[in-house]
Amino acid sequence: MSSDADALERHIGHDEFDPVGTLALIGIYFLILLLMWLFMYFVEFLGNDLTVVGMI
Amino acid sequence: MSAYIDQFPEEAKVIRSAFYASFFALALGAAFGLIQTLHRTDFVRIIPAEMYYTVLTAHGVLMVVTFTIFFLVAIFTWAVTTSLDRGVEDIRFTWSWYGLMTLGTAFAAIAILAGFTDRTEISADVLFTFYAPLQAHPMFYVGLVLFVIGTWLAGADWFRSWWAWKQENPDKRIPLPTFMVLTTMIMWYLATLGVATSIIAFLLPWSLGLIDTVNPTLTRTLFWFWGHPVVYFWLMPAYMMWYIMLPKFSGGRLFSDPLARVVFVLFLLLSTPVGIHHQYLDPGIAEGFKFIAMTNTMFLLLPSLLTAFTVVASMEHGARQRGGEGYFGWLGALPWRDPVFTGMALAGLMFAAGGFSGMINAGMNINYLVHNSLWVPGHFHLTVGTAVALTFMAVSYYFIPQVTGRRLASKQIALVQVVMWFVGMTFMSNAMHRGGLLGMPRRTAEPEYAGFQFETAIGTVGELNAQIALGGVLLTLSTLLFIVNMSITALNDRDDDLPSNTIPEPLSGPNEAPLVLDNLKLWTAIAVVLVIFAYSLPLASIVERGGLFGPGGDAFPMFLELADSFGFALVGETLSAMVSSLLETLRTVV
Amino acid sequence: MNIHNYEKLWLIAAMLLIIGFIVTITYGSVGLGIAMIDDSEETIDPNALEDHERFGDLGVHQTGDGEYDVNIRAYQFNFEPGSSALGVHDPIVVPENSEVTLYVTSPDVIHSFSVVGTNANTMVVPGEISVMTVEFNEAREYGILCNEYCGSGHHGMEGVIEVVPEDEFHLFSVAGVDAPESAQAGDEVEITATVDNDALDADSAAVSLEIGEETFENELEVDAESSASTTFTVDTGALDLEDAVDIDWTVTVEDGSEATLEDGSASGSIALETDDDENDDTTDDDNDESDGGDQ
Repeated sequence: MSSDADALERHIGHDEFDPVGTLALIGIYFLILLLMWLFMYFVEFLGNDLTVVGMI
Repeated sequence: MSAYIDQFPEEAKVIRSAFYASFFALALGAAFGLIQTLHRTDFVRIIPAEMYYTVLTAHGVLMVVTFTIFFLVAIFTWAVTTSLDRGVEDIRFTWSWYGLMTLGTAFAAIAILAGFTDRTEISADVLFTFYAPLQAHPMFYVGLVLFVIGTWLAGADWFRSWWAWKQENPDKRIPLPTFMVLTTMIMWYLATLGVATSIIAFLLPWSLGLIDTVNPTLTRTLFWFWGHPVVYFWLMPAYMMWYIMLPKFSGGRLFSDPLARVVFVLFLLLSTPVGIHHQYLDPGIAEGFKFIAMTNTMFLLLPSLLTAFTVVASMEHGARQRGGEGYFGWLGALPWRDPVFTGMALAGLMFAAGGFSGMINAGMNINYLVHNSLWVPGHFHLTVGTAVALTFMAVSYYFIPQVTGRRLASKQIALVQVVMWFVGMTFMSNAMHRGGLLGMPRRTAEPEYAGFQFETAIGTVGELNAQIALGGVLLTLSTLLFIVNMSITALNDRDDDLPSNTIPEPLSGPNEAPLVLDNLKLWTAIAVVLVIFAYSLPLASIVERGGLFGPGGDAFPMFLELADSFGFALVGETLSAMVSSLLETLRTVV
Repeated sequence: MNIHNYEKLWLIAAMLLIIGFIVTITYGSVGLGIAMIDDSEETIDPNALEDHERFGDLGVHQTGDGEYDVNIRAYQFNFEPGSSALGVHDPIVVPENSEVTLYVTSPDVIHSFSVVGTNANTMVVPGEISVMTVEFNEAREYGILCNEYCGSGHHGMEGVIEVVPEDEFHLFSVAGVDAPESAQAGDEVEITATVDNDALDADSAAVSLEIGEETFENELEVDAESSASTTFTVDTGALDLEDAVDIDWTVTVEDGSEATLEDGSASGSIALETDDDENDDTTDDDNDESDGGDQ
């Protein structure tokens, strides 16, 4: 079950490891979050008339 | 080096029992889930509509209280004993909290399931949230109290282990898994004060007829005082698995131990002072309090966003050690044939999506769009229903052999099972989110109305229902595969080649972490202060408006009518008047 | 503490995202004026709604030019007014281009009042009054549902809001009808209807009387917030009565004023006297039971 040590091709320490793949993935996630937020707020929510307004 | 059952045979028995209790709840909860998903989408209706709510109460309570928390106590016991490398201090004490939790579950479950028969007056058709003035039989509330006390004692057990270990290792850092358990439990002690007060001071005496009325806004607010942190109580064990098990199964090491500690401290501080975000649309609570709750909630996103980076980086580390290359090519080097890894990775992916719908839920005014719509169960089936549940099922394929010493029945079926869960949830949850945006309500047996129809921009209501039902069926099948696989494993041959029960060292170890992170007293104090800031004024205002026992009203249904309630009502009014005058005095002084 | 540069970058991005979310919500609140349900109203005794100035008088009330209040009771398992699909109560009727403040409370358990497919959505908690102000700019129908589980009949709790063109919206009601209890067959009878106009403008009401098989209609000008009467003179001899002992009548005002449907009509009957008065007792009963017939 465990993949602890089997199939390891090399050992990489903290200082020699740059998580570029993680940065790329998380960058895409950031963009998705941003665009989806804007869509949900300004299209789905504000376009969903009737909206509760304060006493004017 | 050996398997857990060889290291801690006595503890392994308790852990096993807790796993079995949680799987039993999962199986029963899944059966109810299937009835619901087919009923509300109008594919198969085998129960009368009003019984839907009994089924829904059972599904909710069994899944999010029994399944998750029994699983949690199992892996927390594993985490503390493994990382401190010492058994529990007194195994009889460990069995006693397990017994109390089981007894509590039995009480609550009997009260709920009695709702299926007319032979007894007992029922608890109040759903997981048990909002007054809906009333359950006292046995339901007693069961919840016993269960929560059981978890308190479990926490005491783990603290006791840590204190004993600290005497012998005064200069060592708290091992990360134990640190995670302790911070989570402090959060839990703080959070359960809310629900304990709600039940012990109000709902239980009210169901016994000792007090006439309750303040629905007050008990509801106390429920959410606990009701939001409880989601982190479900999530923290899953996070623990992602931090310490996912790197192990990816063939890598945790990217950063100090950041993991920071994340758990942030959860301890921010999980509780946010519950009012469940009450954005409640009357009787000022907008300002809602805004404060929102700000806290938004910052509570931070530890989860940090977790996403650390956990993915740990996986990437494993993938690169296994020979992975490129910006995205390393993903292919991950052990996708291992159900433990794949289940957890897919759970994490779904949590990324659930995180987004959670961000919408957290927004104060955008809550008008989604509040109490089908969007909300769509959201939490991604979080507790997948991020937590799928992670738990995936790691079971590692843990059950570890605590039974038996060989896993089928790794292939396990892999099919975790993927099937992911596919089923994709169908169900996506359709639920979309349905919610059309205004379809949650918690509704037959959402078909005589006076209007839901308007769809894309697709049809029929198509959404078909996706929900299909997803629900796949999820039930997946649960069935899991239960069968686990049952055969429990009865399987002994496995003499079990991997040893170890946790790999992090890349950036605990000694890099500032000492202050291990100062649990400091974090507890700050957490308490934040809760006081967030809750004292709203609670005072609710009590001042409606009184401790509310502005009147009856129970639904009324279980007991007692003549002696007058005296208690008088005490209530006096108390309420005292609190009000105290408030007045404070205001004059200020 | 050793934090990788990429992780620092992500920390900053995450903080920006969080702040961006808070800024968006604040813009909605402050810039667009989206208000939250809050604690602006006093608490109320859920067992004594009828004694409350607002909930003792359910329905639509005009408060200003194009401004209306609607007082709604959400109870197991209907909205009053609102639940009209199964004929339990009137629908909620408001005019187009109006600003409407909805006041909702519950006498029993927690409900919600949610206008389907819109952002008008509130919890309804016994003891508290939920207030929402919304603008209706389009003549159409909206569904209402309860989205908080409230008991075994929760899924049937629904209602309707009808937004009608301004010229079709009236706040008339029949305040009373003065009709004789009995008449000699062939005589002329006089039936006088008094109509209330709750609107803040004078309005012209079409009052109709159905009697026997005939329908008569009178135009009536009613001042703002006052009453006016109109009298119908009917020759019973001209009615096709066959062998009837009673003549049934119904007074209705202006079909467009569904908001007050319950008081929008009144009916009763006139006993026909022939040679003897055997039917006197029963005709009295008929009139007593009639819906506001001789107030």
